[in-house]
Amino acid sequence: MTLRRFFLSAPLFLFIFLLQEAVVTQMRLPAGGFNVLLVVSLIWAALSTPEIGALTGFGAGLMMDVSQTSPGPMGHWTLVLIIACYFIAFLGYGDDNIRGNPINIVLLTTIGVVAAQTVFLILGLMLGQEIGSVKQVFFVLAGSAFWTAIISPLILKIVSYFHSIIFGERSHI
Amino acid sequence: MRYGGDNRGRLLIIVLLVTSLFLITLDLRGVQVIDGLRTGTQAALTPVQKAGSWAVTPFRNFLSDVTHLGRTRNQMEKLKAENEKLRLKLQNRQIADAQLKQLKSVLDLAGSAGYKVVNAKVISQGSSTSFTQTITIDAGTTSGIHTNMTVISGYGLVGVVKYAYTNSALVQLASDPAFKIGARIAGSQQIGILSGQGTRKGVLQLLDNTTQVHKGDAILARGSQNGRPFVPGVPIGEITSVDNSPGAVTQTADVKFYANFSTLGVVAVVVSDSATDPRDSLVPPKPRPTPIPTVTIYATPGAVEPSPTATK
Repeated sequence: MTLRRFFLSAPLFLFIFLLQEAVVTQMRLPAGGFNVLLVVSLIWAALSTPEIGALTGFGAGLMMDVSQTSPGPMGHWTLVLIIACYFIAFLGYGDDNIRGNPINIVLLTTIGVVAAQTVFLILGLMLGQEIGSVKQVFFVLAGSAFWTAIISPLILKIVSYFHSIIFGERSHI
Repeated sequence: MRYGGDNRGRLLIIVLLVTSLFLITLDLRGVQVIDGLRTGTQAALTPVQKAGSWAVTPFRNFLSDVTHLGRTRNQMEKLKAENEKLRLKLQNRQIADAQLKQLKSVLDLAGSAGYKVVNAKVISQGSSTSFTQTITIDAGTTSGIHTNMTVISGYGLVGVVKYAYTNSALVQLASDPAFKIGARIAGSQQIGILSGQGTRKGVLQLLDNTTQVHKGDAILARGSQNGRPFVPGVPIGEITSVDNSPGAVTQTADVKFYANFSTLGVVAVVVSDSATDPRDSLVPPKPRPTPIPTVTIYATPGAVEPSPTATK
């Protein structure tokens, strides 16, 4: 049942992946811009059970890994997103104060994006990647937090709508 | 109710984590299937990215105008739509002109050095959320582009081809934190290693601590064996500040890249370098100060009108 629903959400994530690669990366937004796939997968996880959250992180992470702009080895983003999505789902699961309040979900997603990128960075360092100056890292992290806080409220309703179609009305905000 | 988890859930998490670690191990060991997966994805994405580039370019500049397109019912709406189309055409023309200008300058630079180049349009800019600086160009192996080829713009070095696909290629920008290039100072020929820092500024680490480096000195590529990954003589940037700490083992300097990576539209990939080293011939000329004419008017007592006198 869980896997069937997971595969039902695959076309949506594939579309978001294409949107990220073909449109969002073309925008050349200031402060590094945002990653719509990362934001959507974290919102999706915040509305789901921890198992679905981990599966979502796995699928979205695989997509981010096959992206040509991913600097790390295959599985790098997958590992990070499994952990990030699982924890976000774990924090929100069964707690209506978090799941029922859009502001909390936006806050959780923003923190999740920054945390996921930080973990990605630390893992990258452990795998021998170059990360540049500390100032630039903080600039990108701050930029990601800013854009996520802008984008999340705009797409939350849409993501929630599709989530409720696949997983039932209980998750609808 | 808080989530307590069950054995099935825990098993799933463990399986997923192990799978991702397995993928990392496979990739780090250089298994061909993983490389093939990325190459295949890029091959499939290239037409979508090209379409996206075509669609987004006018949208990016005329966001507010585009929202009114396609709503024409009466004469006024028709005229408005026509006006929008004309503005869009004008915008496209301006974009084409800007790209033509970039193409001309890059061809001028390549022509001066005697490089054989393949021109390409930038179709995508890598997301810096992954802490990398990359661009994707619309030319690949079918155009003679392969990995480890120098990429230049009209101003100088842009980066190096990291991956070449059939119809596109991923270029690692000189600003990427992992980017390193052997560089020399024009004139004094002192050599060093330039590293990207994630911004438009790089850091040059000189190999000789006793040399004198000055602000404004031009930095050029030293070149690699057989011109790959770097052809010699490509202008990289100029020194903006020098760190002369007395206790430092090596001397370092901040370098501002000539190329502006955020406005790249057209670039050229050097597929074959010149037979001779261009030495310092590609160093861009220093800007000449423009004399400002001043006019001084002297008021002479008793004269009918003041007479203007021009001095430079």
